[in-house]
Amino acid sequence: MRLGRATDGKPVLRLKTGLQIRLGNLGAAGFLGLLAVVVTAVALGVGATRLGIWDLPGILTGGSLSGEQAFALWSVRLPRALIGFMAGWLVAMTGAMLQSLARNPLADPGLFGLSQGSMLMIMLLIVFMPDAPKEAIPLAALAGGLCVAFLLIWLVGGSHSSGLAILLMGIAVETVLSSISSLLILYTPNETSYALSDWLAGSLFQASWTGIAALAPWFLLSLPAAFLIGRALRCYDLGNEMALALGEPIRWSRPAILVIAVLLSSASVTAVGPLIFLGVMAPHLAGFLSPSTGRVRLILSGLTGGILVVGADSLTRGLGGEVALPIGLSLTLLGVPLFIISLRLRALRNMQTD
Amino acid sequence: MRGRFSILAVAFLVLLASLYFNLSTGATSIGPAEVAGALFRFDPENYDHYIVLYQRLPRALIAIYVGVLMASGGLVLQGLTRNPLASPSTLGINAGATLFVVAGAYLFNLGIEAQGGAALAGAVFGFLSCFVVARLAGLSRDPRGLALILSGALISMLFIGIANAFLLSDPAGRTDFLGWVTGNINHVYAARLYRFWWIGALAFAGLLLLARPLTLMTLGHEKAASAGVNVVRVSRLAIAAVMLGAGSAVAICGPVGFVGLVVPHIVRPLAGARFGVNLPASALLGATVCLLADLVARQAFAPFILHTGLIMDLAGGVVFALIVKRYYLSPAVGRHA
Amino acid sequence: MLEATDIAASYGQVPVLEGLSVRFDRRRLTALVGPNGCGKSTFLKAVMGFMPITGGRITLDGQSVQGIGRRALARRIAYLPQENHCPDYMTLGELIELAGYARYSLIGGPSARDRQLFSEALEIVGLSGMARRPVNALSGGQRQRAWIAMVLAQDAEIILMDEPVNHLDVKYQYAVLELVQGLTRRLGKTVVTVLHDLNLTTAFADDVVMLLDGRVVAAGPVSETVNTDNVRDVFGLETDIFDRSGRLICVPRISGAPAVTA
Repeated sequence: MRLGRATDGKPVLRLKTGLQIRLGNLGAAGFLGLLAVVVTAVALGVGATRLGIWDLPGILTGGSLSGEQAFALWSVRLPRALIGFMAGWLVAMTGAMLQSLARNPLADPGLFGLSQGSMLMIMLLIVFMPDAPKEAIPLAALAGGLCVAFLLIWLVGGSHSSGLAILLMGIAVETVLSSISSLLILYTPNETSYALSDWLAGSLFQASWTGIAALAPWFLLSLPAAFLIGRALRCYDLGNEMALALGEPIRWSRPAILVIAVLLSSASVTAVGPLIFLGVMAPHLAGFLSPSTGRVRLILSGLTGGILVVGADSLTRGLGGEVALPIGLSLTLLGVPLFIISLRLRALRNMQTD
Repeated sequence: MRGRFSILAVAFLVLLASLYFNLSTGATSIGPAEVAGALFRFDPENYDHYIVLYQRLPRALIAIYVGVLMASGGLVLQGLTRNPLASPSTLGINAGATLFVVAGAYLFNLGIEAQGGAALAGAVFGFLSCFVVARLAGLSRDPRGLALILSGALISMLFIGIANAFLLSDPAGRTDFLGWVTGNINHVYAARLYRFWWIGALAFAGLLLLARPLTLMTLGHEKAASAGVNVVRVSRLAIAAVMLGAGSAVAICGPVGFVGLVVPHIVRPLAGARFGVNLPASALLGATVCLLADLVARQAFAPFILHTGLIMDLAGGVVFALIVKRYYLSPAVGRHA
Repeated sequence: MLEATDIAASYGQVPVLEGLSVRFDRRRLTALVGPNGCGKSTFLKAVMGFMPITGGRITLDGQSVQGIGRRALARRIAYLPQENHCPDYMTLGELIELAGYARYSLIGGPSARDRQLFSEALEIVGLSGMARRPVNALSGGQRQRAWIAMVLAQDAEIILMDEPVNHLDVKYQYAVLELVQGLTRRLGKTVVTVLHDLNLTTAFADDVVMLLDGRVVAAGPVSETVNTDNVRDVFGLETDIFDRSGRLICVPRISGAPAVTA
């Protein structure tokens, strides 16, 4: 491993195999990692039970906590922060994947109908098999997402269709699925209907160590997935024909990427419900922070997504007090201003360089 | 040319026929004489007359109003953006109206009267935010209006999400709104029709006046400008008319999706590309579709009455998929696109 | 050697290539010319496997191209589409590095030889100092040369180009094609390119293949193939063709105007 310069002259860390890691990207990842730790620490300190950030070092070094504090930390806040981070990571990474696939910066698991598929299947399970064991829910989510993915693959056909076609077909599928969900919400008994809507809004309230145990494998899976897929995505960014000409076998790699996107997004849907707009927001903010492609983009997007969710959650817990805002809403409140500010700044930056 | 106008005549007759079926069919079947009687010689003692005039006629009028404005709005938007997927419902109108009605009711305790106004304001707001997001996302260079469609979809997800959050905060009040949120043609909303109809009438008249410049603009904005069209002013006026017209329709009966997207695609091959013809044709067909959807919603699972909006959404999604297949996946088309 | 035998392809029900047979000799610049919709671009797509062929065979050194995997094909044939788009954030250097995609292993990146190749490619197109710039910040002519550098950096023996000088001004049309001609002369590449302009064809191409309705009407060295009869057959256009110091000049006739004489 040694330092070198890439073809564009930027400093890189070069491994023996030839793999190049940009120092700029490494720095950005380090910064985001640090930010993630800070935000999590803040999240652990926010809430009704008094437990400041400054107590943390003491706890880690074996200091004692009152029973109430210990409960707040270990059973509520820490699981919540961890689940939030992992779910945000997964959704943001899926968004980045789909954006390269569709070559459109507004693609998102929600827009593709992938999350709708998972949610609809979960809803069907709740409505028609209310006695089904809890373990069935992730399977239902997975099955629903996969159905949508295969439907999309079948509808748009082989490697000849454009990214735009997949995206639009995704919107079509999403429309049908959401009207079926409305149908369920409207015509099921009142309590079931309420439970369904509650699920749809997404929340971190259910966070628990069992939830973490269910989500963690997917989070870990996303790392090698990012490594495998990220490489191909750089070619997808140049368009289908160029990607094919460069040697990327789109015919099977595109379905493979879609399926992986489904696995990751349905895991997140199972854990916290849909996280609207995050899949667009996080990759965009990550790109604003440090322009990148391929694997790096996936990782940076994931980190940003995780930070956004944990940050949004602690923000609303800090401000909201008694009112429990669904995570989707608090995410919007935090993310959309950031999104618009970064767009404006980028426009200004472009004007200066031109 | 005569063929094109006879299409309008046929469409008008079909509309009249579906209006008649809509008025006469129901839990009690009412004959043509009684329907005509209720409309022209109302007898307060006659129960059938009462049903026709106070239950079915308001529904039918709402269906016609919604159909006319949504279909013509969709046609104009598809022409302006030159994108086959544009329609009032895909560009944030529905979501904005939903959000404002729900938020208004929960935050300011708006009564059923004021909700109509809130819905209209929300529709306008949703539409405008869709444009703002598209512009902010820096996709304004996109010649085929795709940015608008996507930002419309995102705005919708966002607003619906927020509206759902409000609904969840109060389980008791929630049931009252679910009906409206999914789009429903119901005689209860007749008062709003009587309050808002002039908006739609003005909007539709405005669109008819703009028909010729709009036809030119389907050839591209530069082409239209070179033919003497003030492109900026015409698009602003047309968009304002669509926004207010479709907004008032949503305000009356809640979000309705299908008509605006699909009717223009059925009309264009039959009525041609001139707005002077296909705008009224879309309006007539849109009204017909809504009347029939209303009929299906009332009769399909009688005595249960389904939501018209839901029926149309479900069908709309499927048709949307077919449109994508036709316009974006057919290789012969993709080659020139 | 790239060879197509009796190939057929269609968009849905519409046939585009019908019994097209052609072969491209090594180290030569071959221009594909013909009227709009004659199947020039489709033919290149068929070679790359973007467009399924319904009949015939396309072979590379005797081996069917369908049987060659994507990655292996990418090492032997490079392709430059007509329209290219690059993400906003990608620099020229990053774009060039992607050219070696088919040679990188899963955990690998550009080797020392690759990097040598990349800087040479940039030097050949005259963009050595620009590698840091985002591709989309380059001027039109620079951008087209950037894409040519990319196909060059792919290090394939055969390069297919679909109208590489579209949207360029006259100066760059000649500059870019001179560059492309240089690839065959100096680097021994085989180049097949779609061209619209007969005068550009006669100025730079060695061979020409004239297509009409998915068939080859005439093929061979430029000096023998570009003549008034063939141009009339393919384009339906009356031209006068003059020889000026070994370079053919095509001047279409305009009805009502006096003929241009030598």
